[in-house]
Amino acid sequence: MKTSEFIVRRFILLIPVMVGVTVFTFAIAQIIPADPAAILCGERCGLVDPVSGKTMLELQRERLGLNEPVIVQFRLYIENLLAGDWGESTTYNRPTSDVVRDAAPVTLEMALFALLMAYPIGITLGILSAVWQDQVFDHISRFLAIAFVSLPIFWLAMMLQLVFGTGPEVGGICDPIFGTDGGCFPIYGRHDSALTYPDRTSTLCDTINSGIACYPSWYPSGGTGFHLVDSWFVTDEALENIHPDYASNSKLFDDTLVHLILPSFTLGIASAGSLLRYMRASLLEVMNEDYVRTARAKGLSESRVIIVHACRNALVPILTILGFSIGGAIGGAVLTESIFAFYGMGNVAVDAIINLDYSVLMGVTLITAIIFLMSNLIVDILYGVVDPRVRLE
Amino acid sequence: MSWSDGFEERAESLRRLKEGANQAKYDIKRGWKIYRRSLLAVIGLLMVISISIVSIFADDIAVEHPGRNLQDTRDVWHIDYEPRKAAPFSEECDTRYQKVSLTTLRRWGENGTSALSPTRVADNNSFYQDTLVVTEFIELQDRYGVTLESDLVTLESSNNTYFWISDVLMDNNSLTQIKLIYKFENDAMHHWWLPDGYDVCIFGTNDEGQDLFSKILYGSRVSLTIGFTVATLTVIIGTVIGSISGYFGGRVDEVIMRITDIFFAVPGLILALAFVAALQAIDNFTLPLWFAFLLPLSGLCIYFRSSIYNTIMPGESSFAERKFGIRFTVVALLLAVLALGGPWKGLFEQTDTSEWRIFASLAGLMIVGGIFILDRRLMDNIPLDGVGRRALNSLDWRNPYRYLTFRTLVIFIASIALFTWSGNTNNEIVVIDNFDRLWKIQIALVFTGWPGYARLIRGQVLYVKEMTFVEAARSVGAPSGRIMFRHILPNAWAPLLVAFTLDIGGTILSASGLSFIGLGAEPGAAEWGKLVSDGRAHFPQDYWLVLFPGLAIAYTTLGFNLLGDGLRDVVDPKNRR
Repeated sequence: MKTSEFIVRRFILLIPVMVGVTVFTFAIAQIIPADPAAILCGERCGLVDPVSGKTMLELQRERLGLNEPVIVQFRLYIENLLAGDWGESTTYNRPTSDVVRDAAPVTLEMALFALLMAYPIGITLGILSAVWQDQVFDHISRFLAIAFVSLPIFWLAMMLQLVFGTGPEVGGICDPIFGTDGGCFPIYGRHDSALTYPDRTSTLCDTINSGIACYPSWYPSGGTGFHLVDSWFVTDEALENIHPDYASNSKLFDDTLVHLILPSFTLGIASAGSLLRYMRASLLEVMNEDYVRTARAKGLSESRVIIVHACRNALVPILTILGFSIGGAIGGAVLTESIFAFYGMGNVAVDAIINLDYSVLMGVTLITAIIFLMSNLIVDILYGVVDPRVRLE
Repeated sequence: MSWSDGFEERAESLRRLKEGANQAKYDIKRGWKIYRRSLLAVIGLLMVISISIVSIFADDIAVEHPGRNLQDTRDVWHIDYEPRKAAPFSEECDTRYQKVSLTTLRRWGENGTSALSPTRVADNNSFYQDTLVVTEFIELQDRYGVTLESDLVTLESSNNTYFWISDVLMDNNSLTQIKLIYKFENDAMHHWWLPDGYDVCIFGTNDEGQDLFSKILYGSRVSLTIGFTVATLTVIIGTVIGSISGYFGGRVDEVIMRITDIFFAVPGLILALAFVAALQAIDNFTLPLWFAFLLPLSGLCIYFRSSIYNTIMPGESSFAERKFGIRFTVVALLLAVLALGGPWKGLFEQTDTSEWRIFASLAGLMIVGGIFILDRRLMDNIPLDGVGRRALNSLDWRNPYRYLTFRTLVIFIASIALFTWSGNTNNEIVVIDNFDRLWKIQIALVFTGWPGYARLIRGQVLYVKEMTFVEAARSVGAPSGRIMFRHILPNAWAPLLVAFTLDIGGTILSASGLSFIGLGAEPGAAEWGKLVSDGRAHFPQDYWLVLFPGLAIAYTTLGFNLLGDGLRDVVDPKNRR
């Protein structure tokens, strides 16, 4: 099977799952006990429209198609989804697609950066643990692997804030060790407060109270939403308008990076733990293979056998975990975001549930599913490229 | 039927029971031998045992009830309590220093009044009060906070739970409110294992002056209950669905696996969030509501019944059977349409008539029962006549092998559970009374958790299904249910046990996470996730409010994870001799 054919086939297999997810989100929205029409018209629900003689509530219901049978509503929902209309958020008074588009890169950036931190840690510890099997180091790192997945992520986040983000009067260790004023890392927000919400009167900030749509105006509006990337594409004109302390691309990048380290580390710990286990198991399995024995018999040095012959093959199955760990990281981001005050999908989802904003909830569920499926697809394709045997099935 | 009938059968079944018991004894011994090789596993076991002991004896270990609120005590004195935070082992904790105002001077004896400790409420709703010992009288104020002569009140020298209030004070009508400030100390609330004075301060107190240590102790009950309930329910649902999927294969397998794909496509926590939101309107989980979930499932079963049948016995259906099957399917579909096409949303509101609910539950029971009977009949080719006789035969109480089965156990437990849960709320059978937010997160976690088990069990069943003994059982005509429960599942349970143990830890983590974002326990409840989120308001200054509940979560989860890891070594085939 050719690679292109393989990719197309995998892509087609995703369609039923995607349809299932939409059915699922639609079902959940049907059950949620909120009347979106009543929320949207608010106090004006009782007013009567002079032209049609109907109340605002009735008009709103008609507009949203709530008077139709469930099946027709589902058809409408699918049609709207495909047309790019994801509904109207009752919390933010904006289209859901905009809310999701603003929130998704925040979570994704955090999750990807977390994996970037978790993979080196997990894989290195896993390799060392397998090399020194049943020695003290192995026992310790196996314990660590279990401990990492056992820590409640919200608690870990707060403890890291305490240790690395506060001054000595509270319990931080940075001041006495590194001589920083206060903590090493900022503990709230995506940017320094001097950069966030520079223009509170902007229409983008016109939300109910959470300020979710308020992203710093210095970012290019057509940007990717990944501020680590966007910070390099801020034009000189825009740079003039922002706080003088941060008026250069590299300083903006540094600011983003520094704010990203603690949340991502928190998020990455659990992934690192499971990676360590998988890497250890995978490497131990590979070490029994014939080609490793051959390599040893050839008289290669042990380090070369492990790094070149064993590790390269042991890393192949690790690739499959990548897709799952992205999903896990997005799930964990729900908790981390609320602690580090990142306005990503997790915070949006929690707000949506508290305010019974069902279209945003559907949107977030859908977009996480899309991200997860896409990352798995990419991993599958990569796997097919790395290990051609997979394509033959 | 006389006593001597079937004697050999009984003797044989007894012999098999004994053999099984011996085998189990041997297995446990061998397992323990492997298990104790790993130090970490043993530590994990000890951690689990210790947390279980703590949760069982929380009433005796705790210093006070976690819901203590001094404002509504049954004190003889009206205590105007000022809540106060205290750090662990801080000086503020060594005595109970409280302000008390006497709105009404109630006499206790002659011009005296006694002090009782805040009411403690045990879990069985019994009240008990300790007598507090006043160690030092500090100050007397009128209602404006002006200090009065402290001579007006004297501490009773022989019995220092009594204050003597002078006649001058009693007769002075202008003093409607007086504040007494004094120190309490109480031996009855002191545990021998605590250093003197630090009764309520081992983990500090929260902003309402409640002892954090006691709250964490009681929180272990909540967490362990959630962990076990969710893991057990998930295992049962996942096992049933997974074994159906693996055993029947074909189109059924395909559909079930696509459904699990959908569940895997959304991260568990977000799925649980959405589901908790969907459950918001439900107050009581009733039997008809159960069938609201079962009806769509049974609809699926009806749809795929023919394909199951074709998978098992292609080309063996007689016309009469098919006719019956078609008729039954039509009736069942009609019932399902009646139940579903009407008020689907109404199922989730409490406004429907009880008749309607009873009808829905009966319809659901009929459909589910009918499908089981029909499928068995079609698949196993057992004629329907003589069902009653065979049912009677199966009740032969003298044959232990007949009733000492997994099925009996399940029915027994289910009936006990139904009996304890069932109540009478608007003529309904209440499965879960007071379906509060803790229940909602449990249901949500079960809902998101079963696909994992379904896949696990499916893989195991696919593996075991090909083995010779299953083929042998099939060749002698054993029914599929029997093959599944007697031959396949007992050989596939090992990874299930490991997953179950690990899942308890995972569930405790997710449940506390949901509580943390405010979807689980009510504010102020003694639930670990909620305690952390309550402590957030005072973070990072009062770090202990976050540190200790989180440590408790980590400890318990780590214990279960280490235990599961150790079990994995035991059931690993590589360790078999």
